[in-house]
Amino acid sequence: MAKEEADAPRADCDLRFSSAVYSLDTIKKAAYRLSGHCSFDFEVVGGEILCRLHFAQALSSERMAAIKNGFRNEVLDQDLRRTIAEETGPMRNAILAYAFSRTGLQDGDEV
Amino acid sequence: MATKFERREHFEASLGNGYRLLPFSFSPLNDRDYILTNQAGQYTLLDRPTLEDLVRHRLEPRSDAYATLKSQHFLLDSDSNVAVDLLALKVRTKNSQFTNFTGLHIFVPTLRCEHSCPYCQVSRQSDDKTAFDMSFETANRSLGMVFRSPSPAIKIEFQGGEPMLNFELIRHIVVCAERINQIEHRNLQFVIATNLALVNDDVLSYCKAHDILISTSLDGPKDLHNRNRPRPGGDSYERTVAGIAKARDILGRDRVSALMTTTEASLGRVVEIIDEYVRLNFDRIFLRPLSPYGFAIKTKSYQAYDADDWLDFYFCGLKYILQLNRDGLYFVEHYASIILSRMLTPFESGFVDLRNPAGIGIGALVYNYDGEVYASDEGRMLAEMHDKTFRLGNVHENTWEEIMTSSALLDPLEQSFAGSVPMCFECAYQPYCGAEPVFHYATQGDFVGHKPSSAFCHRNMAITRHLIELLRTDEDANRILMSWLRI
Repeated sequence: MAKEEADAPRADCDLRFSSAVYSLDTIKKAAYRLSGHCSFDFEVVGGEILCRLHFAQALSSERMAAIKNGFRNEVLDQDLRRTIAEETGPMRNAILAYAFSRTGLQDGDEV
Repeated sequence: MATKFERREHFEASLGNGYRLLPFSFSPLNDRDYILTNQAGQYTLLDRPTLEDLVRHRLEPRSDAYATLKSQHFLLDSDSNVAVDLLALKVRTKNSQFTNFTGLHIFVPTLRCEHSCPYCQVSRQSDDKTAFDMSFETANRSLGMVFRSPSPAIKIEFQGGEPMLNFELIRHIVVCAERINQIEHRNLQFVIATNLALVNDDVLSYCKAHDILISTSLDGPKDLHNRNRPRPGGDSYERTVAGIAKARDILGRDRVSALMTTTEASLGRVVEIIDEYVRLNFDRIFLRPLSPYGFAIKTKSYQAYDADDWLDFYFCGLKYILQLNRDGLYFVEHYASIILSRMLTPFESGFVDLRNPAGIGIGALVYNYDGEVYASDEGRMLAEMHDKTFRLGNVHENTWEEIMTSSALLDPLEQSFAGSVPMCFECAYQPYCGAEPVFHYATQGDFVGHKPSSAFCHRNMAITRHLIELLRTDEDANRILMSWLRI
Protein backbone atom coordinates (compact mmCIF):
# COMPACT_ATOMS: atom_id res chain seq x y z
CA MET A 1 0.00 0.00 0.00
CA ALA A 2 1.31 3.47 -0.86
CA LYS A 3 2.20 5.65 2.14
CA GLU A 4 -0.37 8.31 1.19
CA GLU A 5 -3.07 5.65 1.11
CA ALA A 6 -2.02 4.23 4.50
CA ASP A 7 -2.07 7.73 6.06
CA ALA A 8 -5.46 8.69 4.63
CA PRO A 9 -8.29 9.22 7.16
CA ARG A 10 -10.37 6.07 7.65
CA ALA A 11 -13.65 5.24 9.38
CA ASP A 12 -12.87 1.63 10.30
CA CYS A 13 -9.98 -0.68 11.08
CA ASP A 14 -9.29 -4.30 12.11
CA LEU A 15 -7.47 -5.81 15.06
CA ARG A 16 -6.71 -9.52 15.54
CA PHE A 17 -6.12 -11.42 18.79
CA SER A 18 -5.13 -15.05 19.27
CA SER A 19 -8.03 -17.02 20.74
CA ALA A 20 -5.46 -19.29 22.39
CA VAL A 21 -4.35 -16.31 24.49
CA TYR A 22 -7.54 -14.27 25.02
CA SER A 23 -11.18 -15.23 25.48
CA LEU A 24 -13.93 -13.58 23.43
CA ASP A 25 -15.46 -12.38 26.70
CA THR A 26 -12.24 -10.56 27.59
CA ILE A 27 -12.17 -8.86 24.17
CA LYS A 28 -15.84 -7.82 24.47
CA LYS A 29 -15.28 -6.28 27.91
CA ALA A 30 -12.37 -4.27 26.56
CA ALA A 31 -14.49 -3.17 23.59
CA TYR A 32 -17.27 -1.92 25.87
CA ARG A 33 -14.87 0.54 27.48
CA LEU A 34 -14.09 2.03 24.08
CA SER A 35 -17.70 2.06 22.92
CA GLY A 36 -17.87 5.81 23.44
CA HIS A 37 -15.45 6.16 20.51
CA CYS A 38 -16.61 3.48 18.10
CA SER A 39 -18.78 0.40 17.55
CA PHE A 40 -17.49 -3.15 17.12
CA ASP A 41 -18.03 -6.35 15.15
CA PHE A 42 -16.44 -9.62 16.28
CA GLU A 43 -15.70 -12.74 14.33
CA VAL A 44 -13.81 -15.87 15.35
CA VAL A 45 -11.80 -17.00 12.34
CA GLY A 46 -9.60 -20.06 12.76
CA GLY A 47 -7.45 -19.42 15.81
CA GLU A 48 -8.08 -15.68 15.80
CA ILE A 49 -10.63 -13.21 17.11
CA LEU A 50 -11.16 -10.53 14.49
CA CYS A 51 -12.37 -7.17 15.82
CA ARG A 52 -13.62 -4.55 13.37
CA LEU A 53 -13.83 -1.02 14.79
CA HIS A 54 -16.32 1.37 13.14
CA PHE A 55 -16.10 5.14 13.70
CA ALA A 56 -18.81 7.70 13.03
CA GLN A 57 -16.30 9.84 11.11
CA ALA A 58 -13.03 9.14 9.34
CA LEU A 59 -10.03 9.53 11.69
CA SER A 60 -6.44 10.49 11.01
CA SER A 61 -3.97 7.62 11.06
CA GLU A 62 -2.42 9.01 14.28
CA ARG A 63 -5.76 9.12 16.06
CA MET A 64 -6.65 5.68 14.76
CA ALA A 65 -3.31 4.27 15.99
CA ALA A 66 -3.88 5.80 19.45
CA ILE A 67 -7.29 4.16 19.76
CA LYS A 68 -5.95 0.80 18.59
CA ASN A 69 -3.15 1.00 21.18
CA GLY A 70 -5.67 1.92 23.84
CA PHE A 71 -7.77 -1.08 22.87
CA ARG A 72 -4.77 -3.46 23.03
CA ASN A 73 -3.83 -2.16 26.49
CA GLU A 74 -7.42 -2.54 27.65
CA VAL A 75 -7.46 -6.16 26.45
CA LEU A 76 -4.35 -6.80 28.55
CA ASP A 77 -6.03 -5.19 31.56
CA GLN A 78 -9.20 -7.21 31.08
CA ASP A 79 -7.16 -10.40 30.90
CA LEU A 80 -5.52 -9.49 34.21
CA ARG A 81 -8.94 -8.73 35.72
CA ARG A 82 -10.16 -12.16 34.63
CA THR A 83 -7.21 -13.79 36.43
CA ILE A 84 -7.93 -11.81 39.62
CA ALA A 85 -11.65 -12.65 39.46
CA GLU A 86 -10.92 -16.37 39.08
CA GLU A 87 -8.61 -16.40 42.09
CA THR A 88 -10.60 -14.12 44.38
CA GLY A 89 -14.28 -14.78 43.47
CA PRO A 90 -15.03 -17.19 46.36
CA MET A 91 -13.12 -14.95 48.81
CA ARG A 92 -15.10 -11.88 47.62
CA ASN A 93 -18.37 -13.64 48.37
CA ALA A 94 -17.12 -14.97 51.70
CA ILE A 95 -16.06 -11.49 52.85
CA LEU A 96 -19.41 -9.99 51.84
CA ALA A 97 -21.30 -12.79 53.57
CA TYR A 98 -19.22 -12.33 56.71
CA ALA A 99 -19.53 -8.52 56.63
CA PHE A 100 -23.31 -8.62 56.33
CA SER A 101 -24.00 -11.49 58.70
CA ARG A 102 -25.80 -10.61 61.95
CA THR A 103 -27.15 -7.38 60.49
CA GLY A 104 -30.73 -8.09 61.51
CA LEU A 105 -31.75 -8.20 57.87
CA GLN A 106 -32.50 -11.92 57.95
CA ASP A 107 -34.93 -13.84 60.15
CA GLY A 108 -33.27 -15.23 63.23
CA ASP A 109 -30.32 -12.82 63.15
CA GLU A 110 -29.17 -11.46 66.45
CA VAL A 111 -27.78 -7.96 66.05
CA MET B 1 12.33 -12.76 79.84
CA ALA B 2 8.93 -12.38 78.23
CA THR B 3 8.87 -10.41 74.96
CA LYS B 4 6.06 -8.31 73.63
CA PHE B 5 6.87 -9.05 70.00
CA GLU B 6 7.67 -12.13 67.93
CA ARG B 7 11.24 -12.41 66.69
CA ARG B 8 12.10 -11.34 63.17
CA GLU B 9 12.50 -14.97 62.03
CA HIS B 10 8.86 -15.63 62.90
CA PHE B 11 7.67 -13.15 60.30
CA GLU B 12 10.26 -14.10 57.70
CA ALA B 13 9.21 -17.75 57.90
CA SER B 14 5.76 -16.83 56.60
CA LEU B 15 7.15 -15.04 53.56
CA GLY B 16 8.46 -18.10 51.79
CA ASN B 17 5.09 -19.80 51.47
CA GLY B 18 3.62 -17.61 48.74
CA TYR B 19 0.54 -15.44 48.95
CA ARG B 20 -3.09 -15.33 47.89
CA LEU B 21 -4.79 -12.38 46.28
CA LEU B 22 -7.64 -10.69 48.07
CA PRO B 23 -10.42 -9.22 45.88
CA PHE B 24 -9.55 -5.87 44.31
CA SER B 25 -10.26 -3.72 41.25
CA PHE B 26 -7.76 -1.74 39.23
CA SER B 27 -8.00 1.10 36.71
CA PRO B 28 -5.44 3.30 34.97
CA LEU B 29 -4.52 6.48 36.87
CA ASN B 30 -2.30 7.89 34.13
CA ASP B 31 -0.07 6.55 31.34
CA ARG B 32 2.21 4.84 33.86
CA ASP B 33 0.37 3.98 37.05
CA TYR B 34 -2.74 2.15 38.17
CA ILE B 35 -5.01 2.67 41.14
CA LEU B 36 -6.07 -0.46 43.05
CA THR B 37 -9.02 -0.43 45.45
CA ASN B 38 -10.11 -3.23 47.74
CA GLN B 39 -13.62 -4.10 48.92
CA ALA B 40 -13.43 -1.61 51.78
CA GLY B 41 -12.44 1.25 49.45
CA GLN B 42 -8.77 1.44 50.53
CA TYR B 43 -6.51 2.36 47.64
CA THR B 44 -2.90 1.99 46.62
CA LEU B 45 -0.96 2.86 43.46
CA LEU B 46 1.26 0.53 41.41
CA ASP B 47 3.01 0.74 38.07
CA ARG B 48 1.97 -1.80 35.41
CA PRO B 49 4.91 -4.21 35.86
CA THR B 50 4.38 -4.39 39.64
CA LEU B 51 0.64 -4.92 39.13
CA GLU B 52 1.41 -7.74 36.72
CA ASP B 53 3.90 -9.24 39.22
CA LEU B 54 1.30 -9.06 41.99
CA VAL B 55 -1.36 -10.87 39.98
CA ARG B 56 1.07 -13.48 38.62
CA HIS B 57 2.37 -14.21 42.16
CA ARG B 58 5.85 -12.96 41.36
CA LEU B 59 5.99 -10.18 43.92
CA GLU B 60 9.15 -10.21 46.08
CA PRO B 61 8.02 -10.71 49.72
CA ARG B 62 10.64 -8.31 51.09
CA SER B 63 9.70 -5.48 48.73
CA ASP B 64 8.01 -2.29 49.92
CA ALA B 65 5.10 -2.99 47.58
CA TYR B 66 4.50 -6.37 49.25
CA ALA B 67 4.37 -4.83 52.72
CA THR B 68 1.99 -2.10 51.58
CA LEU B 69 -0.30 -4.50 49.74
CA LYS B 70 -0.38 -6.85 52.70
CA SER B 71 -1.12 -4.11 55.24
CA GLN B 72 -3.92 -2.73 53.04
CA HIS B 73 -5.60 -6.09 52.41
CA PHE B 74 -4.72 -6.68 48.78
CA LEU B 75 -2.92 -9.94 49.50
CA LEU B 76 -2.89 -12.59 52.16
CA ASP B 77 -0.04 -14.82 53.34
CA SER B 78 0.31 -17.38 56.09
CA ASP B 79 1.07 -14.64 58.61
CA SER B 80 -2.14 -12.68 57.88
CA ASN B 81 -4.45 -14.70 60.09
CA VAL B 82 -6.81 -11.83 60.94
CA ALA B 83 -6.78 -10.09 57.57
CA VAL B 84 -10.08 -11.49 56.31
CA ASP B 85 -11.90 -10.68 59.56
CA LEU B 86 -10.47 -7.17 59.54
CA LEU B 87 -11.40 -6.60 55.90
CA ALA B 88 -14.94 -7.85 56.50
CA LEU B 89 -15.22 -5.48 59.46
CA LYS B 90 -14.11 -2.57 57.28
CA VAL B 91 -16.62 -3.52 54.56
CA ARG B 92 -19.31 -3.64 57.20
CA THR B 93 -18.33 -0.23 58.61
CA LYS B 94 -18.32 1.32 55.13
CA ASN B 95 -21.84 0.09 54.56
CA SER B 96 -23.22 0.76 58.02
CA GLN B 97 -25.23 3.76 56.81
CA PHE B 98 -27.60 1.48 54.93
CA THR B 99 -28.95 -0.06 58.12
CA ASN B 100 -30.13 3.40 59.16
CA PHE B 101 -32.34 3.76 56.09
CA THR B 102 -33.88 7.08 55.00
CA GLY B 103 -32.43 10.04 56.91
CA LEU B 104 -33.18 12.98 54.60
CA HIS B 105 -36.83 13.98 54.16
CA ILE B 106 -37.43 16.86 51.75
CA PHE B 107 -40.69 18.79 52.03
CA VAL B 108 -41.92 21.13 49.30
CA PRO B 109 -44.22 23.58 51.16
CA THR B 110 -44.87 25.43 47.90
CA LEU B 111 -43.74 25.49 44.31
CA ARG B 112 -44.24 29.28 44.22
CA CYS B 113 -41.20 31.52 43.85
CA GLU B 114 -40.68 35.22 43.23
CA HIS B 115 -37.42 34.52 41.37
CA SER B 116 -37.44 33.45 37.72
CA CYS B 117 -34.06 31.73 37.37
CA PRO B 118 -33.61 30.29 33.85
CA TYR B 119 -31.69 27.34 35.31
CA CYS B 120 -34.37 26.48 37.89
CA GLN B 121 -34.44 22.71 38.13
CA VAL B 122 -37.88 22.45 39.72
CA SER B 123 -39.92 24.54 37.26
CA ARG B 124 -41.18 27.02 39.89
CA GLN B 125 -44.61 28.69 39.62
CA SER B 126 -45.35 32.41 39.85
CA ASP B 127 -45.94 33.44 43.44
CA ASP B 128 -49.70 34.11 43.26
CA LYS B 129 -50.79 30.53 42.57
CA THR B 130 -51.66 29.08 45.97
CA ALA B 131 -52.77 25.93 44.17
CA PHE B 132 -49.09 24.98 44.39
CA ASP B 133 -49.02 25.14 48.22
CA MET B 134 -48.90 22.06 50.47
CA SER B 135 -51.97 21.69 52.71
CA PHE B 136 -51.79 21.02 56.46
CA GLU B 137 -53.42 17.63 55.91
CA THR B 138 -50.76 16.65 53.34
CA ALA B 139 -48.05 17.84 55.74
CA ASN B 140 -49.48 15.73 58.57
CA ARG B 141 -49.65 12.61 56.42
CA SER B 142 -46.11 13.23 55.17
CA LEU B 143 -44.83 13.57 58.73
CA GLY B 144 -46.41 10.22 59.50
CA MET B 145 -44.22 8.75 56.76
CA VAL B 146 -41.05 10.50 57.99
CA PHE B 147 -41.12 8.79 61.35
CA ARG B 148 -41.75 5.37 59.81
CA SER B 149 -38.11 5.43 58.75
CA PRO B 150 -35.96 3.71 61.40
CA SER B 151 -33.13 6.20 60.94
CA PRO B 152 -31.80 7.48 64.28
CA ALA B 153 -31.06 10.82 62.57
CA ILE B 154 -33.89 12.59 60.74
CA LYS B 155 -33.23 15.71 58.72
CA ILE B 156 -36.30 17.58 57.43
CA GLU B 157 -35.32 19.95 54.64
CA PHE B 158 -37.73 22.52 53.22
CA GLN B 159 -37.24 23.09 49.50
CA GLY B 160 -39.27 24.93 46.92
CA GLY B 161 -40.09 27.03 45.02
CA GLU B 162 -39.30 29.45 47.79
CA PRO B 163 -40.44 27.72 51.00
CA MET B 164 -40.60 31.02 52.93
CA LEU B 165 -43.68 31.90 50.84
CA ASN B 166 -45.55 29.28 52.88
CA PHE B 167 -43.86 29.83 56.25
CA GLU B 168 -47.08 29.11 58.14
CA LEU B 169 -46.84 25.51 56.95
CA ILE B 170 -43.18 25.29 57.91
CA ARG B 171 -44.11 26.36 61.46
CA HIS B 172 -46.81 23.70 61.54
CA ILE B 173 -44.44 20.93 60.36
CA VAL B 174 -41.70 21.95 62.81
CA VAL B 175 -44.06 22.01 65.80
CA CYS B 176 -45.68 18.69 64.86
CA ALA B 177 -42.30 16.99 64.18
CA GLU B 178 -40.94 18.19 67.54
CA ARG B 179 -44.06 16.89 69.28
CA ILE B 180 -43.73 13.45 67.64
CA ASN B 181 -40.04 13.43 68.49
CA GLN B 182 -40.76 13.77 72.19
CA ILE B 183 -41.76 10.12 71.91
CA GLU B 184 -39.43 9.03 69.08
CA HIS B 185 -36.21 10.56 70.46
CA ARG B 186 -34.49 10.83 67.08
CA ASN B 187 -31.67 13.24 66.29
CA LEU B 188 -34.03 15.71 64.56
CA GLN B 189 -32.72 18.56 62.42
CA PHE B 190 -34.43 21.16 60.21
CA VAL B 191 -33.02 23.03 57.21
CA ILE B 192 -34.71 25.69 55.09
CA ALA B 193 -33.33 26.10 51.57
CA THR B 194 -34.20 29.72 50.83
CA ASN B 195 -33.10 32.58 48.60
CA LEU B 196 -33.42 34.80 51.73
CA ALA B 197 -35.18 37.54 49.73
CA LEU B 198 -38.21 37.45 52.01
CA VAL B 199 -36.55 36.74 55.33
CA ASN B 200 -37.32 38.97 58.33
CA ASP B 201 -36.60 39.14 62.06
CA ASP B 202 -39.74 37.20 63.02
CA VAL B 203 -38.89 34.31 60.71
CA LEU B 204 -35.27 34.20 61.90
CA SER B 205 -36.28 34.37 65.56
CA TYR B 206 -38.48 31.36 64.94
CA CYS B 207 -35.56 29.58 63.29
CA LYS B 208 -33.39 30.44 66.30
CA ALA B 209 -35.98 29.12 68.75
CA HIS B 210 -36.27 25.83 66.86
CA ASP B 211 -32.62 25.40 65.89
CA ILE B 212 -33.35 25.57 62.15
CA LEU B 213 -30.43 25.80 59.71
CA ILE B 214 -30.48 28.08 56.67
CA SER B 215 -29.11 27.05 53.27
CA THR B 216 -29.13 29.75 50.62
CA SER B 217 -28.06 30.23 47.00
CA LEU B 218 -25.14 32.48 46.13
CA ASP B 219 -23.82 32.27 42.59
CA GLY B 220 -20.94 34.74 42.90
CA PRO B 221 -20.39 38.49 42.47
CA LYS B 222 -23.34 40.87 42.15
CA ASP B 223 -23.60 41.03 38.36
CA LEU B 224 -23.28 37.26 37.91
CA HIS B 225 -25.69 36.39 40.72
CA ASN B 226 -28.34 38.84 39.51
CA ARG B 227 -27.94 37.64 35.93
CA ASN B 228 -28.36 33.99 36.99
CA ARG B 229 -31.15 34.69 39.46
CA PRO B 230 -33.55 37.37 38.17
CA ARG B 231 -36.39 38.66 40.36
CA PRO B 232 -38.61 41.76 40.31
CA GLY B 233 -36.35 44.73 41.09
CA GLY B 234 -33.25 42.85 39.93
CA ASP B 235 -31.95 42.85 43.50
CA SER B 236 -31.53 39.16 44.32
CA TYR B 237 -27.85 39.62 45.25
CA GLU B 238 -28.50 42.57 47.56
CA ARG B 239 -31.31 40.71 49.33
CA THR B 240 -29.30 37.50 49.65
CA VAL B 241 -26.23 39.24 51.07
CA ALA B 242 -28.36 41.26 53.49
CA GLY B 243 -30.24 38.08 54.43
CA ILE B 244 -27.01 36.19 55.12
CA ALA B 245 -25.84 38.98 57.45
CA LYS B 246 -29.16 39.15 59.26
CA ALA B 247 -29.41 35.34 59.58
CA ARG B 248 -25.87 35.13 60.96
CA ASP B 249 -26.62 37.87 63.49
CA ILE B 250 -29.59 35.99 64.86
CA LEU B 251 -28.69 32.31 64.31
CA GLY B 252 -24.90 32.35 64.38
CA ARG B 253 -22.37 32.16 61.55
CA ASP B 254 -22.20 28.37 61.43
CA ARG B 255 -25.98 28.04 61.02
CA VAL B 256 -25.99 29.62 57.55
CA SER B 257 -24.53 27.94 54.46
CA ALA B 258 -24.60 28.76 50.75
CA LEU B 259 -24.62 26.83 47.49
CA MET B 260 -23.61 27.97 44.02
CA THR B 261 -24.68 26.72 40.61
CA THR B 262 -22.41 26.94 37.57
CA THR B 263 -23.98 28.53 34.50
CA GLU B 264 -22.30 29.27 31.18
CA ALA B 265 -21.75 32.83 32.46
CA SER B 266 -19.87 31.45 35.49
CA LEU B 267 -17.31 29.45 33.52
CA GLY B 268 -14.52 32.01 33.23
CA ARG B 269 -15.15 33.51 36.66
CA VAL B 270 -14.40 30.84 39.22
CA VAL B 271 -11.81 32.97 41.04
CA GLU B 272 -14.28 35.85 41.41
CA ILE B 273 -16.95 33.43 42.65
CA ILE B 274 -14.61 32.00 45.28
CA ASP B 275 -13.48 35.50 46.27
CA GLU B 276 -17.12 36.42 46.85
CA TYR B 277 -17.51 33.49 49.26
CA VAL B 278 -14.29 34.48 51.04
CA ARG B 279 -15.40 38.12 51.22
CA LEU B 280 -18.67 37.02 52.83
CA ASN B 281 -16.74 35.01 55.40
CA PHE B 282 -17.76 31.52 54.30
CA ASP B 283 -15.18 28.81 54.98
CA ARG B 284 -16.24 26.57 52.10
CA ILE B 285 -17.77 26.44 48.65
CA PHE B 286 -19.49 23.64 46.78
CA LEU B 287 -18.57 23.99 43.10
CA ARG B 288 -21.60 22.37 41.44
CA PRO B 289 -22.51 21.80 37.80
CA LEU B 290 -26.06 22.31 36.55
CA SER B 291 -28.36 19.30 36.72
CA PRO B 292 -30.28 18.13 33.65
CA TYR B 293 -33.79 18.90 34.89
CA GLY B 294 -36.59 21.48 34.76
CA PHE B 295 -36.04 24.92 33.27
CA ALA B 296 -32.31 24.10 33.01
CA ILE B 297 -33.30 21.87 30.06
CA LYS B 298 -36.17 24.02 28.75
CA THR B 299 -34.03 27.17 28.55
CA LYS B 300 -31.02 25.17 27.28
CA SER B 301 -28.91 26.31 30.26
CA TYR B 302 -27.82 22.71 30.88
CA GLN B 303 -26.73 22.17 27.28
CA ALA B 304 -24.69 25.41 27.24
CA TYR B 305 -21.50 23.70 28.45
CA ASP B 306 -20.21 20.13 28.65
CA ALA B 307 -18.44 18.05 31.30
CA ASP B 308 -14.97 19.11 30.13
CA ASP B 309 -15.89 22.82 30.28
CA TRP B 310 -17.07 22.31 33.83
CA LEU B 311 -13.98 20.30 34.79
CA ASP B 312 -11.75 23.17 33.54
CA PHE B 313 -13.81 25.49 35.75
CA TYR B 314 -13.56 23.09 38.70
CA PHE B 315 -9.80 22.44 38.50
CA CYS B 316 -9.08 26.15 38.11
CA GLY B 317 -11.19 26.79 41.21
CA LEU B 318 -9.55 23.99 43.19
CA LYS B 319 -6.08 25.31 42.33
CA TYR B 320 -7.06 28.76 43.55
CA ILE B 321 -8.58 27.36 46.76
CA LEU B 322 -5.38 25.42 47.50
CA GLN B 323 -3.42 28.64 47.04
CA LEU B 324 -5.72 30.43 49.49
CA ASN B 325 -4.99 27.67 52.00
CA ARG B 326 -1.25 27.91 51.36
CA ASP B 327 -1.56 31.62 52.10
CA GLY B 328 -3.06 30.81 55.49
CA LEU B 329 -6.83 30.84 54.93
CA TYR B 330 -8.73 27.65 55.84
CA PHE B 331 -11.18 27.27 52.96
CA VAL B 332 -12.70 24.00 51.73
CA GLU B 333 -14.03 22.81 48.37
CA HIS B 334 -16.94 20.71 49.52
CA TYR B 335 -17.16 18.14 46.71
CA ALA B 336 -13.46 17.33 47.04
CA SER B 337 -13.88 16.92 50.80
CA ILE B 338 -16.70 14.39 50.26
CA ILE B 339 -14.62 12.28 47.84
CA LEU B 340 -11.49 12.52 50.01
CA SER B 341 -13.41 11.40 53.07
CA ARG B 342 -14.63 8.34 51.17
CA MET B 343 -11.08 7.60 50.02
CA LEU B 344 -9.28 8.14 53.29
CA THR B 345 -11.65 7.39 56.15
CA PRO B 346 -13.57 4.24 57.14
CA PHE B 347 -16.87 6.08 56.74
CA GLU B 348 -19.27 6.99 53.96
CA SER B 349 -20.60 10.50 53.53
CA GLY B 350 -24.34 11.04 53.62
CA PHE B 351 -24.17 12.72 50.20
CA VAL B 352 -27.05 11.16 48.28
CA ASP B 353 -25.57 11.56 44.76
CA LEU B 354 -22.50 9.46 45.58
CA ARG B 355 -24.02 6.34 47.07
CA ASN B 356 -24.14 2.74 45.94
CA PRO B 357 -26.82 1.37 46.13
CA ALA B 358 -28.19 4.73 44.98
CA GLY B 359 -29.47 7.17 47.58
CA ILE B 360 -32.94 7.36 46.05
CA GLY B 361 -35.65 6.50 48.56
CA ILE B 362 -33.34 4.72 51.00
CA GLY B 363 -31.21 7.87 51.49
CA ALA B 364 -33.73 10.60 50.76
CA LEU B 365 -37.46 10.99 50.13
CA VAL B 366 -39.34 13.98 48.74
CA TYR B 367 -42.86 14.94 49.80
CA ASN B 368 -44.19 17.28 47.14
CA TYR B 369 -46.72 20.07 47.76
CA ASP B 370 -49.51 17.85 46.33
CA GLY B 371 -48.75 14.76 48.45
CA GLU B 372 -46.83 12.96 45.73
CA VAL B 373 -43.76 11.12 47.05
CA TYR B 374 -40.60 10.98 44.95
CA ALA B 375 -37.43 8.93 45.27
CA SER B 376 -35.23 12.03 45.16
CA ASP B 377 -35.30 15.77 44.52
CA GLU B 378 -34.13 15.05 40.97
CA GLY B 379 -37.05 12.62 40.57
CA ARG B 380 -39.38 15.43 41.57
CA MET B 381 -37.67 17.72 39.07
CA LEU B 382 -38.31 15.17 36.31
CA ALA B 383 -41.96 14.96 37.36
CA GLU B 384 -42.28 18.72 36.87
CA MET B 385 -41.19 17.92 33.29
CA HIS B 386 -44.19 15.51 33.08
CA ASP B 387 -42.10 12.37 33.59
CA LYS B 388 -43.24 10.56 36.74
CA THR B 389 -40.86 7.60 36.50
CA PHE B 390 -39.59 8.22 40.05
CA ARG B 391 -43.01 8.83 41.63
CA LEU B 392 -43.32 6.29 44.44
CA GLY B 393 -46.89 7.05 45.50
CA ASN B 394 -49.00 9.63 47.32
CA VAL B 395 -49.27 10.20 51.07
CA HIS B 396 -53.08 10.28 50.75
CA GLU B 397 -53.34 7.02 48.82
CA ASN B 398 -50.44 4.79 49.79
CA THR B 399 -48.91 3.29 52.91
CA TRP B 400 -45.22 3.53 53.85
CA GLU B 401 -44.82 -0.14 52.93
CA GLU B 402 -46.38 0.40 49.49
CA ILE B 403 -44.15 3.40 48.82
CA MET B 404 -40.91 1.78 49.95
CA THR B 405 -41.54 -1.46 48.08
CA SER B 406 -42.88 0.11 44.88
CA SER B 407 -41.26 -1.01 41.65
CA ALA B 408 -40.63 2.69 40.91
CA LEU B 409 -38.06 2.52 43.73
CA LEU B 410 -36.84 -1.07 43.67
CA ASP B 411 -36.29 -1.31 39.89
CA PRO B 412 -33.89 1.64 39.59
CA LEU B 413 -32.14 0.67 42.84
CA GLU B 414 -31.54 -2.87 41.63
CA GLN B 415 -30.70 -2.06 38.02
CA SER B 416 -28.26 0.73 38.84
CA PHE B 417 -26.38 -1.16 41.58
CA ALA B 418 -22.75 -0.62 40.58
CA GLY B 419 -21.73 -4.14 41.57
CA SER B 420 -23.58 -5.44 38.53
CA VAL B 421 -23.33 -2.54 36.07
CA PRO B 422 -21.04 -2.86 33.01
CA MET B 423 -17.75 -1.05 33.66
CA CYS B 424 -18.72 0.06 37.20
CA PHE B 425 -18.45 -3.46 38.64
CA GLU B 426 -14.72 -3.60 37.83
CA CYS B 427 -13.89 0.10 38.19
CA ALA B 428 -11.31 0.99 40.86
CA TYR B 429 -12.91 4.45 41.24
CA GLN B 430 -16.31 2.97 42.03
CA PRO B 431 -15.89 3.09 45.86
CA TYR B 432 -15.70 6.90 45.53
CA CYS B 433 -18.53 7.23 43.02
CA GLY B 434 -22.29 6.59 43.00
CA ALA B 435 -24.99 4.75 41.10
CA GLU B 436 -27.10 7.81 40.10
CA PRO B 437 -30.03 6.22 38.22
CA VAL B 438 -31.95 9.50 37.94
CA PHE B 439 -29.14 11.38 36.17
CA HIS B 440 -28.58 8.52 33.73
CA TYR B 441 -32.28 8.13 33.11
CA ALA B 442 -32.58 11.88 32.39
CA THR B 443 -29.54 12.05 30.11
CA GLN B 444 -29.39 8.58 28.52
CA GLY B 445 -32.86 7.11 28.90
CA ASP B 446 -32.24 4.21 31.32
CA PHE B 447 -31.29 3.66 34.96
CA VAL B 448 -27.92 2.06 34.17
CA GLY B 449 -26.55 4.41 31.54
CA HIS B 450 -23.76 3.90 29.05
CA LYS B 451 -20.79 4.69 31.26
CA PRO B 452 -18.17 5.24 28.50
CA SER B 453 -20.21 8.29 27.42
CA SER B 454 -21.65 9.29 30.82
CA ALA B 455 -20.90 12.86 31.93
CA PHE B 456 -21.37 11.76 35.55
CA CYS B 457 -18.76 9.02 35.22
CA HIS B 458 -16.35 11.24 33.28
CA ARG B 459 -16.62 14.06 35.85
CA ASN B 460 -16.17 11.88 38.93
CA MET B 461 -13.27 9.87 37.56
CA ALA B 462 -11.48 13.05 36.46
CA ILE B 463 -11.89 14.67 39.89
CA THR B 464 -10.82 11.54 41.79
CA ARG B 465 -7.74 11.08 39.57
CA HIS B 466 -6.83 14.71 40.08
CA LEU B 467 -7.15 14.45 43.86
CA ILE B 468 -5.00 11.30 43.97
CA GLU B 469 -2.30 12.99 41.89
CA LEU B 470 -2.36 16.00 44.23
CA LEU B 471 -2.12 13.76 47.30
CA ARG B 472 0.97 11.97 46.04
CA THR B 473 2.86 14.67 44.14
CA ASP B 474 2.25 17.87 46.10
CA GLU B 475 3.20 17.79 49.78
CA ASP B 476 1.48 21.09 50.54
CA ALA B 477 -1.69 20.07 48.76
CA ASN B 478 -1.64 16.73 50.60
CA ARG B 479 -1.52 18.50 53.97
CA ILE B 480 -4.35 20.83 52.98
CA LEU B 481 -6.57 18.13 51.52
CA MET B 482 -6.12 15.97 54.61
CA SER B 483 -7.36 18.88 56.72
CA TRP B 484 -10.64 18.80 54.76
CA LEU B 485 -11.55 15.25 55.79
CA ARG B 486 -15.03 14.94 57.25
CA ILE B 487 -14.93 12.49 60.14
